[in-house]
Amino acid sequence: MRDVAITGIGSTSFGRHDGRGLESLAVEAANAALRNAGVARKEIGAVYLGNFIAGPLSGQEVLAGIVADELGLENIPCTKVEGACASGGIAFRHAVLSVAAGLCDAALVVGVEKMTHASGGQVTQALNCAMDNRSDGPSGLTFPGLFGLAWRIHAAKYGTTRDEVSAVVIKNKANGLKNPLAQLGANLTLDIIRQSQPIADPIQLYDCCPVSDGAAAVVVVAKDRAKGAPDLPIDVLASVQTRGSPRIGGHQDIVSFDATVQAAQRAYQAARMNPNDIDFVELHDCFSMAEIIDSEDLGLVPRGMGAKWAAEGRTLVGGDIPINPSGGLLAKGHPVGATGVGQLYEAVLQLRGGHANQVKDAAVGMTHNLGGAGIACTVSILKRSDA
Amino acid sequence: MATNPGMVSVLKCSACGTLDAGPREICPSCHEAALRRHEVAGEGKLLTWTIIRRPPAAFRAEGSYAVAVVELDAGVKVTGRLEGPDDVKGLGARVRLASSKDGVATFCAA
Repeated sequence: MRDVAITGIGSTSFGRHDGRGLESLAVEAANAALRNAGVARKEIGAVYLGNFIAGPLSGQEVLAGIVADELGLENIPCTKVEGACASGGIAFRHAVLSVAAGLCDAALVVGVEKMTHASGGQVTQALNCAMDNRSDGPSGLTFPGLFGLAWRIHAAKYGTTRDEVSAVVIKNKANGLKNPLAQLGANLTLDIIRQSQPIADPIQLYDCCPVSDGAAAVVVVAKDRAKGAPDLPIDVLASVQTRGSPRIGGHQDIVSFDATVQAAQRAYQAARMNPNDIDFVELHDCFSMAEIIDSEDLGLVPRGMGAKWAAEGRTLVGGDIPINPSGGLLAKGHPVGATGVGQLYEAVLQLRGGHANQVKDAAVGMTHNLGGAGIACTVSILKRSDA
Repeated sequence: MATNPGMVSVLKCSACGTLDAGPREICPSCHEAALRRHEVAGEGKLLTWTIIRRPPAAFRAEGSYAVAVVELDAGVKVTGRLEGPDDVKGLGARVRLASSKDGVATFCAA
């Protein structure tokens, strides 16, 4: 397999894009990524597009081909991939694979979602497509509910408190304030969070990511083709995808997701690294409790300490292991199919040294994208090509 | 097919005896297409619970409701509803089946 690098990134802002369609958002992000990579259209040999719910919410499929057509790409294979909230990360992995395998020298990855035009009930219903609806769905469970269930177990096992969990929210919302692409940065206090509306006990409003529109894109190329790119190429040291149980009953308990644990182990192995080598992570904080669980599953924080490390400031931009300097899904937003690609966009900005919340001397970054009730996961490790 | 009072309908593999909450097509253990309906006592312990205050569109008419994960004494984990969550003593508390509707079990304090 050949080494692969990212040479181009592009993104819309995440948030409300009233009156714009999926295609418009995807083309904006993808065109920016192609230009940033300095790659000719005819050199792109494959497109992988991550999207989750364009069917139910917008009545539009075949997005990969539509976007490639608008971009003026050749008649190349264009594939839409779906893995719930991990759709974008999976699209990236497939593009990396096709370049690594030598099937093409350059591939375009796009992630896109349009959600804010639908009602809250429609969005919740559409997101529930990510459950195994033969088992957990009929109970009326929702995704905030899943992390409410997880919270009670985490609290019972590790003594995690409301205010410790709030430290995750306060951090990510504050990081989001400085990120120009973020939807919902804010200066929050423990009191404001404590008094916010209950959603799925103990999950409250500020524990939840917003409903978002947005698109992000990256261009991946064979590393020997990356020289001469206008901007600093970023090496892809690992891009791993795993499966976990689709059902709550299939997990040992729900304060750890096997798919994340195994993806992290395989990624560290592929990159010949360990958690201490990671300078920052963009991980899947769809809910505050999700960040806590993810940080432990990735081996970046000791088991049970996810909330306590946040409360001690150890996951701040200047902390031991900066988590979600972009603001994460909680503040930057979660246009589902775009999220995994958006994380890669943020990680590349960090590694190029030009992020609004720059982690000092960042040379190695990790991204983590988790779908459904832990059914699909991707973990990638990226490194500055000059480090 | 109606379930007997107090019993929860699960699946049992007639080839290897594995129990599973289902629904499923083939046995998760031996992979034989030999899963049959099987009733187990609706008693067990509460693993965790939440109150859904923002239901999906299909459940909107119900207002808020409690969802629980229960480990039945037979060793099967079931996602269902919880009645009177305030009466339940906390995680690990004993619960029993209160009622069952459309294949979804509702539990209450034992």
